[in-house]
Amino acid sequence: MKKEIKSDREYGFIKEGGRKNKKNNKKKVLIVFAVIMFIIVFLVGRLVFLMVFSSEYYGKQAKELHQRERNIKAARGKILDCKGNILADNKSVCTISVIHSQIEDQEKVIEVLTKELGKDEEEIRKRVEKVSSIEIIAKNIDKSVGDKVRSYGLSGVKIDEDYKRYYPYDSLASKVLGFTGSDNQGIIGLEVEYDKYLSGKPGKILTLTDARGIEIEDSAEEREEPENGNDVYTSLDVNVQKYVEQAANKVLEKKSADSVSIFVMSPKNGEILAMVNTPEFNLNEPYTLSASDSALAVDSAAKQDLLNKMWRNPCVSNTYEPGSTFKIITMAAGLEEGVVKLSDTFSCPGYKIVDDRRIKCHKVTGHGAEDFTLAVMNSCNPVFIEVGLRLGVDNMYKYFNQFQLFGKTNVDLPGEASTIMHKKENVGNVELATVSFGQSFQITPLQLATTVSSIINGGKRITPHFGVKICDKDGNTVEKLEYKTKDNIISEETSATVRQVLEKVVAEGTGKKAYVAGFHVGGKTATSQTLPRSANKYIASFLGFAPAHDPQVLVLVIINNPQGIYYGGTIAAPVAQEIFSNILPYLGIDYDEEEAASSGGTTE
Amino acid sequence: MLFKSSKKQTTYRKNQLDYIMFVLVLLCVILGLIMLYSTSAYNGRVKFSDSAYYLKKQFFATSIGLLFMYLVSECDYHFWEKFAFPAYVLSLILSALVLAVGSSFNGSKRWLSIAGLSFQPAEFAKVAVILFLAWYISHAKKKIVGIFSMLKVMLMVMPIVALVGTNNLSTAIIILGIAVVMVFVASPGYKQFIIIGLVGVVFVAIFLSVEQYRLERLMIWRNPEKYEKGYQTLQGLFAIGSGGLFGTGFGESMQKLGFVPEAQNDMIFSIICEELGLFGAVIIIIIFFLLLYRFLLTAHYAKDLFGNLIASGILAHMGVQVILNIAVVTNTIPNTGITLPFISYGGTSVMFLLAEMGLALSVSRSRHMQ
Repeated sequence: MKKEIKSDREYGFIKEGGRKNKKNNKKKVLIVFAVIMFIIVFLVGRLVFLMVFSSEYYGKQAKELHQRERNIKAARGKILDCKGNILADNKSVCTISVIHSQIEDQEKVIEVLTKELGKDEEEIRKRVEKVSSIEIIAKNIDKSVGDKVRSYGLSGVKIDEDYKRYYPYDSLASKVLGFTGSDNQGIIGLEVEYDKYLSGKPGKILTLTDARGIEIEDSAEEREEPENGNDVYTSLDVNVQKYVEQAANKVLEKKSADSVSIFVMSPKNGEILAMVNTPEFNLNEPYTLSASDSALAVDSAAKQDLLNKMWRNPCVSNTYEPGSTFKIITMAAGLEEGVVKLSDTFSCPGYKIVDDRRIKCHKVTGHGAEDFTLAVMNSCNPVFIEVGLRLGVDNMYKYFNQFQLFGKTNVDLPGEASTIMHKKENVGNVELATVSFGQSFQITPLQLATTVSSIINGGKRITPHFGVKICDKDGNTVEKLEYKTKDNIISEETSATVRQVLEKVVAEGTGKKAYVAGFHVGGKTATSQTLPRSANKYIASFLGFAPAHDPQVLVLVIINNPQGIYYGGTIAAPVAQEIFSNILPYLGIDYDEEEAASSGGTTE
Repeated sequence: MLFKSSKKQTTYRKNQLDYIMFVLVLLCVILGLIMLYSTSAYNGRVKFSDSAYYLKKQFFATSIGLLFMYLVSECDYHFWEKFAFPAYVLSLILSALVLAVGSSFNGSKRWLSIAGLSFQPAEFAKVAVILFLAWYISHAKKKIVGIFSMLKVMLMVMPIVALVGTNNLSTAIIILGIAVVMVFVASPGYKQFIIIGLVGVVFVAIFLSVEQYRLERLMIWRNPEKYEKGYQTLQGLFAIGSGGLFGTGFGESMQKLGFVPEAQNDMIFSIICEELGLFGAVIIIIIFFLLLYRFLLTAHYAKDLFGNLIASGILAHMGVQVILNIAVVTNTIPNTGITLPFISYGGTSVMFLLAEMGLALSVSRSRHMQ
């Protein structure tokens, strides 16, 4: 401060104040300056706090504000058959849109789009001239068309590439494969079941935008590449499927049936080679109802009901009264428990009285005296009632449990129905009797076929399935799909006996219309009446397998509400015969020349 | 330190321009124009399809301002003594006119439109008050010692504070700040100021609690995230935080792209922080600080009390405005619209600021005229 006083000499305004005042003024300006300096230093400290220590906090929030996320669709994996034929594929398609503010030559844009898209000029003009940020002109345009439009290099026209699910065989195995929605997610069928493998992981493009949401040109965009979905290889065989579908359509038309379901599976491992549910629908247009149905779609709810019905897979989702094909299971239980032997003799008067009920045989005049083998060949109800009664409720249910007949098969399709069986405590003799020949309860076709498969394959309960393995884009196996099995649900001996009897059913019994020379076909027919009985609607069915001594293929044919003759042996067995005679050679099943020669006469 | 270094400067030739101050002002103006262009280009493009829209207008005003600065710095500042009172009266008239026939922009009625040019009387009022108080205090018969003489001076400026404050509270605060500083510098003693300070605190408290929206401002200040009206403050903080140590680079601000509303106005410092980082922001602050230091020296070596008070007034004006602006942008105090001198967009502001700089240069020329 001493120095300050010295410098006072140079200080000008002596006139007004004198030394004291001058000194005061200088000191006070200095104080003002010091206060300002102090505050500025404080504010710099505040800046350091904000820009160094809070930088991350605010910077992150700012970045979130600036970035817009755009998804890149991942290509969905393919679904293939056992031979590598593609059942579900992706097609590159384009979406063409216009950005009004970027259009330079409007007339040219309208002209080119009209020409290349083959649409009405008025409609395109309306959209192009509309003042909107972005206007979609056309969706799902073939890539070649999109490329051509792009080649004009018109500003303001945007061509976005996209994938669209595409099913090369249109309606083939439609209810099995299923389809995907616009968000590339499976809606029904295998597309749902294997969605997690097929869908992949969508990628992202993070772009910077200004406050109006407009992307900033030339800004560095962050990209996260999509992970494409994996391919699912199935046990389906396009050729078998096609052939079975043809046979199903033929009988559907011939018998004016409501629907026909047929599937072909391997009793050894549960792989399903074909599953046909006619009428099928076009997977590429899954929301288009058939001509007759669309007339019924009066409102959107009615339409949705009809669509759900159309998409439903009856082999898996519907239950029915199996009728006589179920006798295979009663037979297996009876033989395994030892309550019946093939040599046991019975007498059928055409009915059997159980408690106070008289239960008729399908042959009203009766089958007369017959041994058990013959009874199976005749599909004689009183004999099976007898076997059922001999087993008793406890044993019957013990075997049902052992065969895993209750519950679901755990097939790799969504929407599987469970078996609807009497509660054990409610089962009296009458119920037991009807269950013995396949009535008064409900079961899915697939559950029946799976249980029979497990009985005739030597006693190994299998899980029916389509999915075999998951492969990446280059065909490398990512995962081999494994399915649960359970051994010894029945002895090998009983299994062999059942096979032997069932071969006889086809060779000489009710199933003889399914006979194929040289292939040892075994099987069982069934004719069941749907509820209510008064409607007089029937289901004709046939379950067959070949070769009988070592079953490789099992076929179940179900014809719903056939007109005219409705016996399974008469109308369903020939369908199986037709399928067997074509697919057995195709599948390379051994042909037994000796057998064919010895029984040549019996072939139709 | 301060007086040692200032002693060296006493060797300057008589009547020589304070080149350091001049260079600092030019630096502020040039940096201001550059940053203004960077910040306003987007808004100009979006609103007027011309990214240089704001720059052009500001450049025009700056040119006139530089001419003013030159002219004012060339004449003896005593020349303005006789205009001090008329200028003050004129500023009162103009401020009253704004209330009557002013035009609004962004919801505030602060402009007078004359022959297609808009003019903000509040900016003129600041210079007028500095000149008026310097003249009044230096010519007062009695020294300003007692609390009453001080209050008398304060009352002299109350009309303009009231008129300007009606629709431009921030500028009124600055004018009040200038007046307090000038009275403080001119009068001996400190006690009165402590009392004034306490009275001020009470006054502010009453002022805030009278109107609900002022309290709301306080709430927004504490938690800008939670209030819709905290948007501007929050966006400013995002910009500052994004800057980090070295910034995103010149022209690279994201927040100026409409996120910080009207980024070229009050919030321009946040964009400077974002683009130039802490480093650049501190350099700008240092330039302002050096300029304030030159004002201090000018006040110190002023030939007479009139010159001393002019320099002190200018020091107060610049200091208060820079501090308030940065404090608002960094959310250190509640939001109130205050521009950053030389850098924020505003033609009237830059024109009168440069004229004010001319005055400071003129005072600095007159030192040690023995």
